[in-house]
Amino acid sequence: MVDVRRSVSGLARGLAPIALFLMLALQILAPSLAEAQSSVRAPGNAVVNAVPPPMGSAPDTATQGTPPGDALGNSSDSESWRKIRQGVPGHVNNTDAYGSRGALIESSGENWRLWRNDYVVRYGGMVLLGVLTILAVFFAIRGRMRISGGRTGKVIPRFSLVERITHWFVAILFVFLGTSGLIILFGKLLLLPLIGPKAFGLFASASLEGHNLFGPIFAVAILALFFVFVRGNGYKFIDLVWAIKGGGFFGGHPSSGRYNFGEKSWFWWATICGIALTLTGFAMLLPEIAASVSTALVGPEMTGRLFLQFAHLVHAVAAIAFIAFGIGHIYLGTVGMEGALEGMTRGYVDENWAKEHHDLWYEEHKAHAVTDTVKAETEAAAGHV
Amino acid sequence: MTLLQFVQGPLWYFASAVFVLGVLWRLIAMVMIGKPRDLSAARTSSFGGGIKAILLHSVPHGGNLARTIYHFLVGYAFHIGLFVLVLFAAPHVRFIEERLLGWAWTPVPGWGFALAAQFAFAGLILLYIRRLTDPVMRKLSDWDDHIGTWLVFLVMLTGCLALQESHDGLRLIHLLSVEALMIYFPFSRLMHAFTFAFSRYNTGATYGRRGVTP
Repeated sequence: MVDVRRSVSGLARGLAPIALFLMLALQILAPSLAEAQSSVRAPGNAVVNAVPPPMGSAPDTATQGTPPGDALGNSSDSESWRKIRQGVPGHVNNTDAYGSRGALIESSGENWRLWRNDYVVRYGGMVLLGVLTILAVFFAIRGRMRISGGRTGKVIPRFSLVERITHWFVAILFVFLGTSGLIILFGKLLLLPLIGPKAFGLFASASLEGHNLFGPIFAVAILALFFVFVRGNGYKFIDLVWAIKGGGFFGGHPSSGRYNFGEKSWFWWATICGIALTLTGFAMLLPEIAASVSTALVGPEMTGRLFLQFAHLVHAVAAIAFIAFGIGHIYLGTVGMEGALEGMTRGYVDENWAKEHHDLWYEEHKAHAVTDTVKAETEAAAGHV
Repeated sequence: MTLLQFVQGPLWYFASAVFVLGVLWRLIAMVMIGKPRDLSAARTSSFGGGIKAILLHSVPHGGNLARTIYHFLVGYAFHIGLFVLVLFAAPHVRFIEERLLGWAWTPVPGWGFALAAQFAFAGLILLYIRRLTDPVMRKLSDWDDHIGTWLVFLVMLTGCLALQESHDGLRLIHLLSVEALMIYFPFSRLMHAFTFAFSRYNTGATYGRRGVTP
């Protein structure tokens, strides 16, 4: 009895690929036969999915009746292939939960790949490289921005322990996720030719695992960052003046309160990018849930696969935007400006630094200026800022 | 012999020996030191005091909730997460079964591992940031604290990065960091994993005998 069941099961498994092959063959042959065409051979443009068009050319899968791309061959059956890609509901029972019902070939995957490689990788790389170049040139011309009048020796508590812990928590995760994300996005282009496939495979695998693991922690961290720093980050008229004067980068020091226009913009930039990264990140981590939610919200035309492709592109763009601004923030917080870093490491800033960069905030807090840095640090840690 | 074979073979046995003997040596040394006999009349049970101290110091108490809640929450997140990772991660359970005991228990599913790892990482990072930013904690810390934290972090990180188990290089790095931790462990404050209950009991017992709740 058991043997019979095994035999039937084995037979079914053996027949399944044959049946699938026959179904595929019928789908390809049927339109051609109906249109009484002499050739049922797959047209030359069938290889377009495997060989992408040259970098720079726009993604194109909707050509009308002519072989798209650089396809070779002297005959084309674009209409048949278009039908196969678009699908005919009721004719094909496609059980793929993420894909379009009735479509044998998911052309959206090719579109996504071309968007990723031709636009996100290319222009994203240019943006990041551009930011680094601008900062390097700026640093070469301007050098480190020193505290006008030097240090007074008196410091004012600026950031509480809660604020600093939250900041560094986000910062550590930002560096880790940024590095692993850049390896995932640009690694094949930049690292693979340098270190070879074996080492790159190791880096890519480790980056993916680490990225997926740290992502959810980042979601919590960015939420904490928002609630801890939202106070004082609302825009005011004075910020417009600060922005018009270029923030004093080219001379002069416009007034500002606890946070200036640049810092406020960084806060909101980080919040918006953080939300985008969190939502799209969770969608990619939990594809089954994302697929059902996207279809329920938008409709059957928004398949799970389409949504995930969209989520991936948004994730990459938001990450590049976040990292690009983040590089500027790190520059100003470390080598670019004297006296800025200690606000986040020790919790206090020099009196002259405060007067120069946050004069309105300084006026409110100058009574707390002390020469005893230990006392200032303890006061800051206790939240007396 | 390749580096991986060396790390999986001789170095693993050496690190294990240092770990086991080192921990035993530290524990025996603690017992051997002993303490002067307390000649005073006991007001209450020293045993009760010891148990009370272990339990009481495991939860926020004494009206200092605001000062200690951070440490409690983050500390528990890290330690429970680490406990699950070490003893219930599928590759570890398999390792224990194949190379240590010959039998093992059911590992946590993938989502359980991810959750435990996230709690462990978030906890460890937050504890370490506080160590660096809190003026009192920073002054209380020395090299041992920093080395211990970094070694534990490296072990966790390399382990999670090697989760796909598809690259020998990642396994090699993870094993190397584990072995470095095992060799360092007995001679550092990481020994608190074995001694915290004894030290709390000892303090509680002393106070309990005198009728005081610590």
